[in-house]
Amino acid sequence: MLKYFYEQMKQTVEEKLQQKPNAWLMYIGQLASTLLKAYDKDAKVVWTTYYSFPMELLAAFDVVPFDFEISCNLLTGPDPKSCVDIMTKSEARGYSVDICSFQRLALGCHFLDYFPKADLFLTTSHFCDGKTKTNQILAQYYGKEAVMLDVPNELSKESVAYVSGQLQNIAKKLEEVSGQKLDYDRLRECVRASNRARAAYGRLAEVQKSKPFPWDGFRVCNLSIIGNMFSGSPFQERLYQKLTEECQQRLAEGRVSPEDFRVLWLAWVPVQPTNINDILRQNKVSIVMSELARVYWDEIDEKKPFEGMALRCLKNPYVGTIEQRLSGVLQLAEEYDVNGAIHFSSTACRHANAAVRVIGDALEKKGIPLLELDGDMSDQRCYSPDRTKSLLETFVGLMASRK
Amino acid sequence: MNEAERVGWLCSYVPEEVIMAAGLLPVRVSGGGGTVGTADAYLYPNVCPFVKSVMALGLNGQTKDMSGLVFTRSCDGMRRLYDVWKAYVPTRFVYMLEVPKNRDGAAVAYFATQLRRFATVLGQEFGREITDRSLNQAIEAANQARRLMQGMYQTQRTIPLPFSGSEVFQLGLEGMGMAKDAFVKKLKEYRLPTANQTSGKGKDGKARILVMGNVVDRPDLFNLIENGGADVVAADLCTAMRHFDYLVEEDAEEPYLALARGYLNRPGCARMTGVEERLADMMKLAKDYAVDGVVYTSVKFCDQHLSDAPYFAEKLKEAGIPILFLENDYTWSTIGQLKTRVEAFIEMLDAGRR
Repeated sequence: MLKYFYEQMKQTVEEKLQQKPNAWLMYIGQLASTLLKAYDKDAKVVWTTYYSFPMELLAAFDVVPFDFEISCNLLTGPDPKSCVDIMTKSEARGYSVDICSFQRLALGCHFLDYFPKADLFLTTSHFCDGKTKTNQILAQYYGKEAVMLDVPNELSKESVAYVSGQLQNIAKKLEEVSGQKLDYDRLRECVRASNRARAAYGRLAEVQKSKPFPWDGFRVCNLSIIGNMFSGSPFQERLYQKLTEECQQRLAEGRVSPEDFRVLWLAWVPVQPTNINDILRQNKVSIVMSELARVYWDEIDEKKPFEGMALRCLKNPYVGTIEQRLSGVLQLAEEYDVNGAIHFSSTACRHANAAVRVIGDALEKKGIPLLELDGDMSDQRCYSPDRTKSLLETFVGLMASRK
Repeated sequence: MNEAERVGWLCSYVPEEVIMAAGLLPVRVSGGGGTVGTADAYLYPNVCPFVKSVMALGLNGQTKDMSGLVFTRSCDGMRRLYDVWKAYVPTRFVYMLEVPKNRDGAAVAYFATQLRRFATVLGQEFGREITDRSLNQAIEAANQARRLMQGMYQTQRTIPLPFSGSEVFQLGLEGMGMAKDAFVKKLKEYRLPTANQTSGKGKDGKARILVMGNVVDRPDLFNLIENGGADVVAADLCTAMRHFDYLVEEDAEEPYLALARGYLNRPGCARMTGVEERLADMMKLAKDYAVDGVVYTSVKFCDQHLSDAPYFAEKLKEAGIPILFLENDYTWSTIGQLKTRVEAFIEMLDAGRR
């Protein structure tokens, strides 16, 4: 089912690209192609986490990165009902509805044999407990090794050395899986590509500060999560350049939506269809930035690639104490001149939700209201359009009263 | 030395020895199965009730007798509890100890650096220098308590049991809140069966149950099982065997390294990597304690244990060991409903053994 879905996705995108090429279609097409490659008989498939693993390292090998969470949750948008049916397959085997719907969907896809083969399971300890546990359990079912990049909660020379050492060991695992020796020149080129993409993204982030906001806020959020899968490949830089050009063109031509309120998005975005975007547009609210889209890491030193990748992991806003996350949120709120912030609290996202009060109080001190919007990223059963409408409209009223 | 000065710890991976070496009294802080009170206003509703009940203690001023509190990156809920606690519960000393999730040599070496840093910061705060000598003495004292508790656990292999599972469990809990010398004295008052007595074989008619899961700090479940006519012979919990069933190398030249090795390589919690190692530990316990069935319990919203449970259930089933999974709300408010399920499980075990 998943393979067929990716084939359809790829075909549709290719047809549309022939009619009217644009950056977003390029991105979706590349995503579908990568996921499809995982089904090739001779592919060396490394299951990993697109949004947190340092993908530059995987790009230095001829392996196909496959993310069990992202891959199946792409289906949630076009077919949320089928996804609920798939989740129930894991629930029927004892997986609690209190664990994340991303994990339940992935386990369900496994039980239904929708996934490609796996040669190695790689993940990181950030962002959440659920993902690392599912990675280990799936590895058990597949009879393959599960490796977890353990990213500590503190930044010090010891933690950099600890993470860097693990990455070097992971490189050895990738050598075994791919049958290739690590080519340091290739790794350095991947690092350079990642650094160029970082700079290109910085330019895009600057354009996003324009008033009115020249793009689609949900796509910013989506890209900040899945876009990391291309770190280390030249495609990522091209993508950001193209997106920037399109934003500049829209601004030049005045093709932008009317904007009364600017909002910073916090935590994840729902991948299931929701009424959020429609309500925001009706009320002239732009999502101008996502906290996950912030460039929080420094350029990776190509002479010390493992250390640089370790630093990127350790500086992630979801690593460390809440101050690490909060400082980024406050910085973005100021830079993007927002009227409010929305924290999408997906039911089981405890790493993101648990201490949201601290963020809300800090924003409030700056006069910025925070809406904690409950829902679920992909489980249709845990999303209420009416409640969402009511919360969002009340929030718009609050922002209006403070303007 | 002011022995009354207490420093609380929240996760069994916090080495009490470091706190003891500073001349402070380490005490386990738990919500005691209490309700979450006002904590819901500070922590997201779908966070584990243990975490919330601890926050409630702080908000209610019930931790004021403590000079400090040590947190770890046990899980998503716990690390965020640190953030919220620091923001809203004024406490003299609050520390987040980094505990790796891996167990290999690199993780041990890294953890040792974190323990050394913890000792430095703790020592500075309380004006006490922690030396290798004082740390080695603390390790010896903690090991003495562990050995005696291990002796108690050994007796649980016998039939019939010399002590009930709930009695042993309560004893361990008590030990986590008192000075080690007092705990050792108390443990020594128990007359353990001799080696001959502990080799008894044969059935006494009672099903032998392994309880496993995460934080259980009330005897409700143990009482339920025992009142239902079965014995709790082993408890793979961080409030029971996982806390005592290992030793740290004594008189080590590098005591921080010894502590790191001891703590990371002991029988693991679900937070650690290695589902297969944890499964092997569980199977060994089941064999060593001649277990007839497993009761696996987890507090609500614990991603680690809730995720492991179905996989373990599958493997236990393959090994012919029945398992009962019980989700609990930490206050055990649904004990009446659980009673029916536990009694039915024991009946099933009894029927299978006839």
